[in-house]
Amino acid sequence: MTVNNTPQTDKPGGKPCQLHPQSMCPAFGSLRILSRIEGSHPVMATDTGCLYGLTFVTHFYGARKSILAAHLGTEELMAGEVVENTIAAIEVAAQEPDCKLIPVVSLCVAETAGLPEEMLPKKINDAEVVLVRVPAYAIHSHPEAKDVALEALLNRLGDPKGGPKEAKTLVLVGEVFPADPLAIDALLRRIGVENTITLPGRSIEDMRRVARAGAVAPLHPFYKGTLKTFRSWNVSVVGGAPVGISGTYAWLKSIGSVMDLDPDLVEQVASEERAQAQAIVDAQPLSGRIFVTGYEGTELAYARMLVEAGAEVPYVSTSIGPDPLVLPDELWLKAHGTKEVIYRKSLEEDVAALDRYPPDLVLGTTPFCAIAKERGIPAMYFTNQLASRPFFLSSGMAATISFIKQTMERSPRYEWMVEFFEEGTNG
Amino acid sequence: MVKIVRDLSDTSSYWAALWTMCTMPDVHVICDAPIGCFNLVATAVPDYTDAIPHIENVTPSVITEEEVGGTGTAPAVKRTYERLRDEGIIDDKYLIVVSTAESEMIGSDLSDLVKVLKPGTTFFHSESLTEDEWTGRDRSLQWLWENYGADKAADVEVQPGLVNIIGATYGNFNQPSDIHEVKRLIEGAGGTVNVVFPENTKLSDIADLAKAQVNVVLYQEFGHTLADTLGQPWLHAPMGIQQTTDFIRRLGDWLGTSEQAEAFIKHEKKTTLQAVWDLWRGPQSDWFATTSVGIVATGTYVDGLSNYLGQELGMQITFVAPRPRGKGDMDNSAVREILHSKPPTFVFGSINEKIYLSEGGARMTNFVPAAFPGPVVRRSVGTPFMGYHGAVVLIQEIVNRLYEALYNFLPVDGAYANQRAGKLGASGAPRSTQADPGNLPWQAEAKAILDAAVEKLPFLARISASRELQMRVETQAHDRGLGEITPDLAAEILEMQSE
Repeated sequence: MTVNNTPQTDKPGGKPCQLHPQSMCPAFGSLRILSRIEGSHPVMATDTGCLYGLTFVTHFYGARKSILAAHLGTEELMAGEVVENTIAAIEVAAQEPDCKLIPVVSLCVAETAGLPEEMLPKKINDAEVVLVRVPAYAIHSHPEAKDVALEALLNRLGDPKGGPKEAKTLVLVGEVFPADPLAIDALLRRIGVENTITLPGRSIEDMRRVARAGAVAPLHPFYKGTLKTFRSWNVSVVGGAPVGISGTYAWLKSIGSVMDLDPDLVEQVASEERAQAQAIVDAQPLSGRIFVTGYEGTELAYARMLVEAGAEVPYVSTSIGPDPLVLPDELWLKAHGTKEVIYRKSLEEDVAALDRYPPDLVLGTTPFCAIAKERGIPAMYFTNQLASRPFFLSSGMAATISFIKQTMERSPRYEWMVEFFEEGTNG
Repeated sequence: MVKIVRDLSDTSSYWAALWTMCTMPDVHVICDAPIGCFNLVATAVPDYTDAIPHIENVTPSVITEEEVGGTGTAPAVKRTYERLRDEGIIDDKYLIVVSTAESEMIGSDLSDLVKVLKPGTTFFHSESLTEDEWTGRDRSLQWLWENYGADKAADVEVQPGLVNIIGATYGNFNQPSDIHEVKRLIEGAGGTVNVVFPENTKLSDIADLAKAQVNVVLYQEFGHTLADTLGQPWLHAPMGIQQTTDFIRRLGDWLGTSEQAEAFIKHEKKTTLQAVWDLWRGPQSDWFATTSVGIVATGTYVDGLSNYLGQELGMQITFVAPRPRGKGDMDNSAVREILHSKPPTFVFGSINEKIYLSEGGARMTNFVPAAFPGPVVRRSVGTPFMGYHGAVVLIQEIVNRLYEALYNFLPVDGAYANQRAGKLGASGAPRSTQADPGNLPWQAEAKAILDAAVEKLPFLARISASRELQMRVETQAHDRGLGEITPDLAAEILEMQSE
């Protein structure tokens, strides 16, 4: 396991030095989920450059939603007007139609200047005001900022006493392709789960209700703060995720035991699902060497599925830090041929791996994919391409595998392009 | 006074510095930044403004809690420098260290540190907490000249006929096309393009700027300080027919190539601009007087578009909001209010305006990308807004969108929709297409709502649209078994407010 606690740490053994850490601006992770909630109107506390960039990516990937901010320049910072201006922006946000939630997203400059939570209103009109602190200098990746935001929302909104305990309701945590929770829900109902709720979602009411659920299952491995909150409500946590052949089987069995479901029924459904996944792999096995090198924090699970489907995945890298939640996938991968799993990776590490284990396909960040494509290697931006199709259970596995297969078959195009353009670039 | 920002239109001078300096291949920048300020400026945003996978010649110091908490950023910058040096990445490069809002926030002044880095390394204090991108670009260009060009340029002689283009930086909407057109105009007027600065220039060649007899500054927002410093006559790049003609004449005058400039104008009228003349003589220009336009963009584009579309073609310019916002200019909240209540037929703007149109349900308004922020690819050189070619591109775009609006209201047989929905049974068409819905009486108030809905449409589409909207409401009335059209029904189906 290679760990970089700060993004720049010299590593022994002739490893590449780290110059260009790979993550979206961490704060974007929080804005993405906060802007998508119906009735939520984020207010940002930050400098103009940061505000411009984060608003840009939020309008591209988050929501068609106007974003308000306090103007914080030298003048305002010197005069100590951070709180005053932020409150003014909160008051404007509260006037939006049916405003129910105003997340105050506090970023590097405001955090450095200081934005005391007790100085902000807790509520304005019908809207809850929730402070979310996501300075990029302290939170190193955008997946982890999603956790920070969700934890802050749940701590405020979660309502364990708002109704009866729903012992047979399962909470799924993770931003996943919308068809995935439907498929998971359908399968879980067969084993006796009565309801599922997916977080982060678009409904504020869901945030209140999840505190009374029977169990929570993180589909992604970076929601540690969120899980802490669930534990404080005595909601049991189910580890793993319904990914691939063995993963799905084990996950269903854990749910059965945590939620006290009929063991025979669970075994029957889990075995069926396992058989189906196995049949999919048997029908269209993958071959070839694949890199999984995104920055979404979900890379290890994807790598695991690809390995189960027959691919060789020698190198996996991600933006998140190591954590007990992700350790089982790392151990599984290491036991199945993966040579390196890199946390908090930099572009230089990914590029060096390209030489060590020349791959047939790269699923990576945009800078890394550009470099792979310059070498004629099929490559795709992990964030855009993988997160936008089903992934979980046998049905998700089928969709992802066939997509990977198709892409690998397109390899001659990548070679043709590089041949054509090489003349221009070398000249 | 408390200042609230809604959907910021202009970024900071730190971005400006990177988007100016990193256009030159022999420069490497260390940005004194946390990971986010590096990712957004070098990858996430230029991916969608300039369509480049990432800016390669910039490396962050990666400010973490340690630096914020006490050590300051000097050790991190030094460490970054040493690694770049050891990897050979900055051999033969000019190294520039640029401050960010966060490094300025913790008071990190590195003007002394750069003296112990690679010889010649400089520190650019970007003033990111104070200045916007336009001031930042202007100051960066001037700073580059003062630090890298002015001394070397002392012996450079002006060469007749040479013309520079100043202001080519990342993050300017439609820049490749506009530069391509400006080059064409310069050459047409009898000039020779010398340096397009700074994009496609090497910093080592910066003194070449002094060779030009005339400078063309691409945008009103920045570049003028450098042009003034260079001391040669300069002018802004033009938009619209008259301005472009003036531009070519002025260049011809200054370069002593007036005869060639006049011949070029004459030839352009018969070639590039012929389309404008033909569309003017055709039925298309008849629609212009009833075409309403709102513009939110840089001052350069606001002035150019409102002059060409408003003054020269005679469209109604219903509002303009230049960016950066000057005194008395509308802010985004005011723009939003207009777009929610009275959106014009065309809105030239950024993604902000597009979002306000979505919020307001203004589906009949044509949004035309004309400014950042917003993801858009404009790398083809065939879509200028500037110059004669730009005049043609704009008129063509507007007319095509009017055609599209008309098309969308032409009737299509309802039977196809029924077939798709599996509703076409043995008994023939269902009732809604069977009955002639034209005979239902409309209450006066309902009719007023229909009229108001039609008013909102581009003029060209109104004849077809009025019938189409009427039928849409009446079909619903039949389906619901109503004997007449009530104001409530009309308002519901036409998504209009009932009075």
